[in-house]
Amino acid sequence: MTEAMLLAILLLSLYAVESKDLLYGTIALSGVSLLSSLLFYILKAPDVAITEAAVGAGVSTVVYVWAIKSMERNEPL
Amino acid sequence: MTARLIIGALFMVGLWALVAKRNLVKKVFGLTILNSAAVLLFIVEAGGSGDGAPIMGGGQRIVDPIPQALMLTAIVIGVCVTALALGMAYRLYKATGSMDIEEIRKRLGNG
Amino acid sequence: MKARTPSAQVLTAVLCIAAASFALWPLATLDEAWPEGIRDYLESRGQDESGARNLVSAIYLGYRGYDTLGETIVLLVAVSGAIGMIGAAGSKLAPGYADAAQGQVPVAKPTRRVHRRTELIDVVTGKLGPVVLVFGLYVMLFGHVSPGGGFQGGVVVASGIVFLGMGSKGAGLSPLVGAGTLARIEAAGFLALLLAAGLGIVSGAGFFAPPLRGVSPVGYIVALNAVIGLKVGAGIGFLCIAMLGETER
Repeated sequence: MTEAMLLAILLLSLYAVESKDLLYGTIALSGVSLLSSLLFYILKAPDVAITEAAVGAGVSTVVYVWAIKSMERNEPL
Repeated sequence: MTARLIIGALFMVGLWALVAKRNLVKKVFGLTILNSAAVLLFIVEAGGSGDGAPIMGGGQRIVDPIPQALMLTAIVIGVCVTALALGMAYRLYKATGSMDIEEIRKRLGNG
Repeated sequence: MKARTPSAQVLTAVLCIAAASFALWPLATLDEAWPEGIRDYLESRGQDESGARNLVSAIYLGYRGYDTLGETIVLLVAVSGAIGMIGAAGSKLAPGYADAAQGQVPVAKPTRRVHRRTELIDVVTGKLGPVVLVFGLYVMLFGHVSPGGGFQGGVVVASGIVFLGMGSKGAGLSPLVGAGTLARIEAAGFLALLLAAGLGIVSGAGFFAPPLRGVSPVGYIVALNAVIGLKVGAGIGFLCIAMLGETER
């Protein structure tokens, strides 16, 4: 179970790093946070799960979306 | 062992983004991934040391609370570091008009 | 410094990854059992010594208080640094925020608002914001008996502030998400934390120690949780609202 979720986290972060559209990458990173917080809850760390959920879904996404909106959305390569 | 290897691979993905990607926001993605790899390593390792959450009164053997307390602060610091790094990236973008690190180096005159 | 070719870059990166893998390999194959001594000590004595049933709170407020103090300083520096740097690079933040970060009195400027969003977001986030704020305060204040505490409650409060900021765009900002308020809460929270930490010195118990001896230290944990929660919530909320203001118009 733990390994499967870790594998999903790995794939999502690979997608975030390799996608051309930075906004898609941001959404994938919030998916990483969501899966991590589920995993923390399963592994008996409820405090860390609350923090990760609030930070990953809310704060970090807002910060990234600000950066992408005020710079360029696509990676010109 | 398998879990550690996957987390190690996650760490390498973050390092790859930090070193090989030329886009500044991709580099910050790498920092975020490195941070979550470290947090995951601590929590997964500590998760095997007991049966219940570290709150007294449950009657079970608790997991070790120390890694959890450390990672709690690490997550909050991580998002602040992300914001600061994106602030720096924005400053560079405003100064040079590019998000490509090689391009920025060229335009700043070190190319 | 010469400009590097793309293939040389990839080669550098691959070498970096290989070196890091080599250095980290022993970590993956390590076969040590988890050290149980400290866990057993905390299990038997932690609640009596710190007063918190939630041992995670007991550690970051009781045993490792210095860590928490340093962490809040890092938070303060990172938030003010990020806002100051963005403001200096061309102020595209919500009105007044760049000034507030540099210690000046924000000047209220009338701004033209352009609506590019549906009513749905306005209504839902505006109504959900107070609920999330109340949940965050609950998580913050009951951190000593249930999962939660200052940092956890603080980030939930920050999410609530983001909701309020998104929801109140049409009808004018609510006073809580105005430029000066959050900055003042952040500064006051830091002062209150220093004060709470220093109280122990006055009564002879030591820095970051519960100031009253003989009574249960639960009250001290709750007070520290509330102060840290307000500080973290205000700091991260300040950052988010400042950035949100620019993206929405």
